[in-house]
Amino acid sequence: MLGAATKRKATEESRQTMSDRPAGTTSTEPVTKAGRGAKTIEARDVDLFYGDFHAVQDVTMTIAPNKVTALIGSSGCGKTTFLRSLNRMHELTPGARVEGHVSLDGEDIYSKGVDPVEVRRLIGMVFQQPNPFPTMSIYDNVAAGLNLNSRRVPKSQKDAVVERSLRGAHLWEEVKDRLDKPGSGLSGGQQQRLCIARAIAVEPEVLLMDEPCSALDPLATLAIEDLIADLKSRYTIVIVTHNMQQAARASDVTAFFNLDATGKPGHLVEVGPTNQIFTNPTEKQTEDYVSGRFG
Amino acid sequence: MPEIARAEYLGELATLEASALGGLDLVNIALARTMEAVENQDVELAQVVIADDDRIDGRYLEVHQSLITLLATQSPVATDLRLISALLHVLKSIERMGDQCVNVCKVIPLTGNYAPVDPRMIDLIVQMGGHTRTLILQAKRAFEERDVEMARDLVRRDDAVDELNRKCFGLALEIGDDADKREWAMTMLLAARAIERVGDNAVDIGEQVAFVVTGLFREFEDASHPS
Repeated sequence: MLGAATKRKATEESRQTMSDRPAGTTSTEPVTKAGRGAKTIEARDVDLFYGDFHAVQDVTMTIAPNKVTALIGSSGCGKTTFLRSLNRMHELTPGARVEGHVSLDGEDIYSKGVDPVEVRRLIGMVFQQPNPFPTMSIYDNVAAGLNLNSRRVPKSQKDAVVERSLRGAHLWEEVKDRLDKPGSGLSGGQQQRLCIARAIAVEPEVLLMDEPCSALDPLATLAIEDLIADLKSRYTIVIVTHNMQQAARASDVTAFFNLDATGKPGHLVEVGPTNQIFTNPTEKQTEDYVSGRFG
Repeated sequence: MPEIARAEYLGELATLEASALGGLDLVNIALARTMEAVENQDVELAQVVIADDDRIDGRYLEVHQSLITLLATQSPVATDLRLISALLHVLKSIERMGDQCVNVCKVIPLTGNYAPVDPRMIDLIVQMGGHTRTLILQAKRAFEERDVEMARDLVRRDDAVDELNRKCFGLALEIGDDADKREWAMTMLLAARAIERVGDNAVDIGEQVAFVVTGLFREFEDASHPS
C-alpha cells in the first residue's frame, strides 16, 4: 500500500541523508537520484464528474516512466481535468468525483487509507500561471514544501535541497546571489522554473504540468522545454498543452482528447508515440486536430 | 461539428501540388518531342527540348521554394507533412526526367544526318518512349487520386520498358565490328538507357504515392536485392 511504501521511502531518505548528503553539500547531484525512480501511472476506466456534469469518459491509458506524455485537445475536452485526477486534485473542486482506478506503480491512489496530501507530494503539479508564494523569498519558495511536510529539516540540509532543486530547475546560476529576494521579483520564465524547483524539492516521482508555458514568451518556453527534457531522466512527466508544436517538440508520447459536442464528456481518442501522432495518426479526428483542421 | 480551418494554407498546398504534378505534363511534352527528334534525327527539335528544359528546372525551383516556405511558416504535420515531403521527392524526379530527355537530345547530333544504321534500334527506342509516356501519365494520375494500386502497377509497366532496353543492348551486340556502326549503336544505347531511367523515375513517384497514403516508405522493387 502507498502508506507503507511511503514509510519505507522515508526510512531510505533518512539513511540517504546521513550517508549521501553531508551537511552543507554543494553537490549538483539530482535531488531524487538515490532511492527513487520515476513511476508508471495506470488510468483504468476513469470517469470524472463535476456534480451531474460528466466531464471525462472512460479513459484507460498507461503513462510510462522517464517519458514525457503530452495531453492535447481542444478546450473543454477534459485533458486538464484528467491531469488533475492523476494526483487527486480533481476532488478539491466541490461536487467533483472520480470513478475508475488510477494507480502509481500498481498502488491505487484512490484506495481508502491513502492520504491525498501524500499522493500530491509524490505526484507534483506545476500550473499554467507561475504561482510563487509572493511574500516569500526565492529560498523559502523552494523550501516551502519541506516545511509543509512537517519534518524538522536542519538548515544545512535545507540549503542543500534548495540548491539542488534550483540547479535541477536550471535556475541556480541566475538566482544564487539573491536567494533572499522575493520570488515574485523574477521574470515569468524564472518564476515558472522556481515553481518547478519547488515541486521537485519534495522529491516527487511524477511531475504533472498544466500548460506550463502558456504564460511565457518563446525563449522562456524553450528554456522550460529544455528543462522538461532534462527532468524526464528522473521523473514521469505529464504535460497538458494547447501548443501542438510544443507537444511535438517536448513529448515522447501524445494523447489526444476530444469531445463529440459541447456538453458531452471528453474522451481519449488516440494515444501513441509523438512522432507517429504527428506524422501518421491512426484516427481521422487526431489528424484533423494536429493539422489544425478544426476551427 | 468543427469547421474546416486554415483554408488559405490548404488552398496553397493544393495549388503547389497541382503545380508540381504539372511538371509531369512538361516532361511528357519533352519526351514526346525527344522521341520525334530521335525518330527523324531532328537536330533542331532536339535543341528546342534542351532549351525548354529550363521550364522544368524553373518549375522545380519555384515549387521547391514555396514548399520550404510552407514548412517554415505553417508547421504542417501528418498527411500534409507527408504530402510536402513526397512533393519534394517528386519534384526531384521530374527534374531528373527532364534532364534525361536533354541527355537523349544531346546525342542526336552525334548520330549525324545519315540514315540510321539499324532502323530496328530506332523502333525499339521509340517504343520505349511511348511506354514511358504512359508511365508518366499514370504516375501523375495515381498521385492525384492517391491510388496506391495504380502506383504499384507502374512497376509492371516499367518492366516492359526495361525489356525493350535489354533488346536494344542485344541489337547493339549484333551490329558487328565496324567502328562507325559500333559508335552509332553505343550512342543509341545511351539514349535507350536515359529513357529507361525516366521510367524508373515514374516508379519512384509511385512509391511517394504509397508514402502519402500509408505513411510507410517502401521501394516497390529493390534494385540491389531483386526478388
